[in-house]
Amino acid sequence: MKKPFFRRLKEVFAPGQTEASSDLTTHFRDFQAVLDGNNRALEAMTEMGEKLGGEYLFDVNYTRSAYATLFSAISGALDHFNLLTDGQYPQLAGTLARIDTLVQRMLRGGASLSSPLVVFYPEITWDQAEEVGGKNYHLAELANALHLRIPHAFAITTTAFTVFLHHNGLEARLAALAEADTATLAEVRTAILAGGFPEDFSAALGAALEKLRDRLGHNATLAVRSSAEEEDGEYSFAGQFETRLNVPCTVEAVQSAYKEVVASLFQANATSYQRQLGYDLGTLKMAVGCVAMIDAKASGVIYTAAAGKDRSRMAISAAWGLGPGVVDGLTDADLYTVAKEEMLRVVERRIGAKARMVVNLGGSGIATVETPAEQRPLACLSEPQVLELGRQALAIEKYYKGPQDIEWAMDAQDRCYLLQARALRVEDPAETPASADTSAATGYPVLLRDQGIVVQRGATAGTVFILQHLDELEKIPKGSILVAKHDSPHFVQAIPILHAIITDIGVPTSHMASICREFNIPTVVNTGSATSVLRHGQAITLQAGEGSEVVVYEGIVQSLLREERQTAAKLRELYEFRRQKYIMRYIAPLHLVNSLEQEFTPEKCKTVHDLVRFMHEKAVQALVANAEGQGRGFHRFFGTKTAVHRLALPIPVQMLVIDLGGGLRSTTGRKAPGFDEVASVPLRAVLAGMLAPGVWQNEGVPLRGADLLSGMTRAADVPGGAAIMENVALASSEYVNMSLRFGYHFNMLDCYCSDTPRNNHIYFRFVGGAAAITNRSRRIQLMAQVLAEQGFALKAKGDLLVGRLSGLNRQEIEGILNQLGRLIGFTRQLDARLDSDEMVTILARRFVQGDYRITP
Amino acid sequence: MAKHSIMVIDDEKIVGDMAKLSFEQDGYEVETFLNGESALERLKERRFDVVVTDLKMKGVDGLEVLRTVKKLYPGVKVIMITAFANLDVAIEALRDDVHDFFPKPVKIKELKASVKRALGEE
Repeated sequence: MKKPFFRRLKEVFAPGQTEASSDLTTHFRDFQAVLDGNNRALEAMTEMGEKLGGEYLFDVNYTRSAYATLFSAISGALDHFNLLTDGQYPQLAGTLARIDTLVQRMLRGGASLSSPLVVFYPEITWDQAEEVGGKNYHLAELANALHLRIPHAFAITTTAFTVFLHHNGLEARLAALAEADTATLAEVRTAILAGGFPEDFSAALGAALEKLRDRLGHNATLAVRSSAEEEDGEYSFAGQFETRLNVPCTVEAVQSAYKEVVASLFQANATSYQRQLGYDLGTLKMAVGCVAMIDAKASGVIYTAAAGKDRSRMAISAAWGLGPGVVDGLTDADLYTVAKEEMLRVVERRIGAKARMVVNLGGSGIATVETPAEQRPLACLSEPQVLELGRQALAIEKYYKGPQDIEWAMDAQDRCYLLQARALRVEDPAETPASADTSAATGYPVLLRDQGIVVQRGATAGTVFILQHLDELEKIPKGSILVAKHDSPHFVQAIPILHAIITDIGVPTSHMASICREFNIPTVVNTGSATSVLRHGQAITLQAGEGSEVVVYEGIVQSLLREERQTAAKLRELYEFRRQKYIMRYIAPLHLVNSLEQEFTPEKCKTVHDLVRFMHEKAVQALVANAEGQGRGFHRFFGTKTAVHRLALPIPVQMLVIDLGGGLRSTTGRKAPGFDEVASVPLRAVLAGMLAPGVWQNEGVPLRGADLLSGMTRAADVPGGAAIMENVALASSEYVNMSLRFGYHFNMLDCYCSDTPRNNHIYFRFVGGAAAITNRSRRIQLMAQVLAEQGFALKAKGDLLVGRLSGLNRQEIEGILNQLGRLIGFTRQLDARLDSDEMVTILARRFVQGDYRITP
Repeated sequence: MAKHSIMVIDDEKIVGDMAKLSFEQDGYEVETFLNGESALERLKERRFDVVVTDLKMKGVDGLEVLRTVKKLYPGVKVIMITAFANLDVAIEALRDDVHDFFPKPVKIKELKASVKRALGEE
């Protein structure tokens, strides 16, 4: 932002002071407008997050008006940001427009018809999640964003789906499906299977297949898989739709597979799943993925958080042959447990029997066969292979900021490919019931104890139904406990009436397992003997705890039965509720955290939150650059001192102060100004608090286990006590605007403190942290407790806290700022210490009494 | 003890659905209606212990529901929820003996507490 030469000349000849300061004033006004818009956007965001979170009844009018408020705030901020930065970041307007289009589309509930019919994975962009469906989207992202190895693939979009329905006159039939019976659904499936394809569809598909054949050779075959709108989103739809494997790379073959996949939207298990999720049948749109087949020597699944709540270990299952062996629970797979320490470590290796395997039959599909005897006892993966998979899985978990369920396959050359990644539903510690008192069950005969693997915890009772054949699923009476030899994704049909599922064989990583977790159905797999020990019609009570803490009692042990499922968990089953909540995914997630990273670019902004963060950072920088530039100008031409100063403080914080007038007293000589030179009333007050004895915790607090993991999702670690050059205070005699960043959290303070109380205000915002979210929100609770006592009006959500206060007199504001300064210093590394809610209360009380020790 | 029954009327499905889930969780029996007309029909057939209704709906609105309830079942309490908090309407509703009046979005906890009060449980 170099100034044109004539303007510099003007500065020499005209009274420089006025010209320059008016320039600074304009910039400063833009800067304030950016911050103001950002603040309002953040507040609107927080408010929406709260109202759409499940604790409020809301309607679409609310969502619309709340979003309108948010949009006007952020676009206002963007206008001023563009002025401030001389239009240096034109991409941001485009990003905001795309976000707006996506949100508006969701508010209207319709998809666009402008997207292409076919998209190759490398071309899939961040805003195409709905068009290519969740499964395509996430798999493409693994390659596009994380550069992990996936097979060559393309997506047939939801637009193509609409085109297909339209071509076959099926739209009206689908629209009338809401209450359809089994016969009608069968008719619809038949009509889809008999459907034809419009010319443009066939042409687009033909071109895509040709491209694949060019790349992979003529013998290449494809996996044709479903990728419905919400698939792998909030709900997994695990195993609910058809997948066709080994499909030849020809238009006819792929079209026929496409129709089978699409028709599976209306098969019994899938319709029952959709109904449970609150869909009106016929409204769900399906994209399809065409993925080059990997002729897998072995394949399996990775859960980056092992069963139960143990997030420090991951579980990798593996079996010979193609994927269905593991995900359909057909075989007793190998199970590797890996500790997620700094260096990954295999802590347990259980070699499964692997009696059966799924193999590729060349041109004629796949088959399940007996595993050759000599292959059964062999481990599918070597230790280095397990660790390599583990590393990739960890990268994915880090990227999505949560546990993942990942499918993989290894080819004959031992190359590993990722085939799928989706969020793994793990219990929220807050929703976990306290373990029941087993003494209550004294006197009841124990039928099974500590056998099998717990997939979903819980205590429940019911009548045993031993399933011999899938056809019997329809006959299961309400309140049964389903006991079966193998697990199957088809069990989902019965889930609304089941109290629990117990199987002889199975792994906790199957499709059925995912679904049982989603619906909170207590489930135990791999007990070995449930079907022989339990009798059909017997009344039993199942208590499933951590790992393999399983007890089955004969009879109904009332005292063990826990309360019904949580409301929040049930609310997720309302489609409309989820749809409105989905809007938040274009608003709330923060991808840009560390401004020192290369990724901190306008191109990486994907959400409103990213825009806010990016603008804030760059606005501060622009203002500093501008003020520094002017300062140099003054210095050169008039010998006037610069407006930007580095403050020398006795604590490891580097802070730039931009003096807007009366913010600093003149210093003698070349010495950097210190606390004594700060003349700005509010800056002085808050610094006095930060410098108060005992407040500044200098010992580094080590981050542990879960902290480290979630810390890694942010950026390289920042050693305790190290200074970071991102702290800026804009100060005049009565005003301060301060941005402070310590490690992974941000403090923002905006304060006017004059002799006119009605002009005075404090705005304080705190966000982020490196520890686990529970600890981070505990820190927020602590701060909220302290600030509430100071009279702040507060809004808190997760790790974000916003406080406001106004209309107090100068002395009162100064006192509060002093306390706030203490709080800023005190809470710097506190989150890692807050292991319990009690600590929050204890430390808050201590803080108020002036005791700043953070040890228990 | 027989379950208490709640009638929920709102022209947006999500409100009824969420209310139904939340109240059923607490052991109430809930019926939901998407417009005032169908609700009035149902009221001719049976009594509910509490009625929760949206104010602004096409056709039969919340005030009309309120009056009908008071006519048919004078003792039954009516709770009004509305996106458009309008003082005049609030006063009119109060005159017609509305039990409670909430702006939308309404916190489910508060609505539940209000229902409890309406039933004399608190």
